[in-house]
Amino acid sequence: MTEDKFFERLRNDARALQHEGDDFLAARLTARVRERINRPTTVAQLLAGWARPLAASLAVLVLSATISFTWTQRQQQDSTETIASNPIDISMAGDLYGVDD
Amino acid sequence: MTITATWGGSAGPPSTWRVQEPALSAEWERLGQDDPFEGRAIEAVRKGDAGSYDYLVSKYSKRVVSIAWGIVRNAHDAEDLAQEAFVKAFQRIDRFKEGEPFGPWIYRIVTNLALDVVKHRSRFRHEELTDAQPAARRDNAELGAVTNELATRIDTAIQSLPENQRVVARLYLVEQFDHAEIAVMMNLSEGTIRSHLSLARKKLKDQLADLYGGTHD
Repeated sequence: MTEDKFFERLRNDARALQHEGDDFLAARLTARVRERINRPTTVAQLLAGWARPLAASLAVLVLSATISFTWTQRQQQDSTETIASNPIDISMAGDLYGVDD
Repeated sequence: MTITATWGGSAGPPSTWRVQEPALSAEWERLGQDDPFEGRAIEAVRKGDAGSYDYLVSKYSKRVVSIAWGIVRNAHDAEDLAQEAFVKAFQRIDRFKEGEPFGPWIYRIVTNLALDVVKHRSRFRHEELTDAQPAARRDNAELGAVTNELATRIDTAIQSLPENQRVVARLYLVEQFDHAEIAVMMNLSEGTIRSHLSLARKKLKDQLADLYGGTHD
């Protein structure tokens, strides 16, 4: 038997394995879903619905502010250190004078 | 497709009707167009008529539970997952694309929920197994629907496959979905589905050789 033919037969036989459930499955599930979607929203759910996105937005805002602040501070520090670390030499009448000297 | 009720003038569906169960596999693309009640029920739900959602739940409940059961192998869990899937779909009905059949959408939601449960279970499998045999016994008890020996052998063979191959094989062989449909449901490429199926086919052919006339042509 070719692999395709085997799989075709297997597929035909395996159809019997579908889960049928009982006679009241559809009615029971419909009732359960209806109960869930008609259930009034509790205060906790309402808060959770708003609090989570709000907390996430705040967290992102705080994180980006911290990163920007740190970055700006580091940039300023770097430019000061660059000036301080570069020796300034002044040449006067053929002689070279350094600021550090 | 037989629907006995007629739609009244109101936004919602009629109070008594007989829903047509969804057709299998490749026909799902046509479902939305074939069943005018489905489109109207979705439209009514979008407009705030939650009662119209009953039609969609009735129509798809058996298949949705069957898909979930095939993955989680427990009737109670399967029904809970089906309920969650329908509630989730209801809450996101605004995101549903107009004119498309409801089936693929709900099948995809329930498949993802069921796969999450399986992943969660495998994460805690160690504790479950050391706890004792109840998990295995419970799974076997759910096989009540499998009546004949052939079906039992096929079921056992499918269950012995690695997780991804098992889920793909079940959706293809038992639930009768085609490659493209399974790819959508599992968020995988069609090539990956074919690859899983090819591996599963080889293993199944070896395991069921005595039933299907040997492993060689």
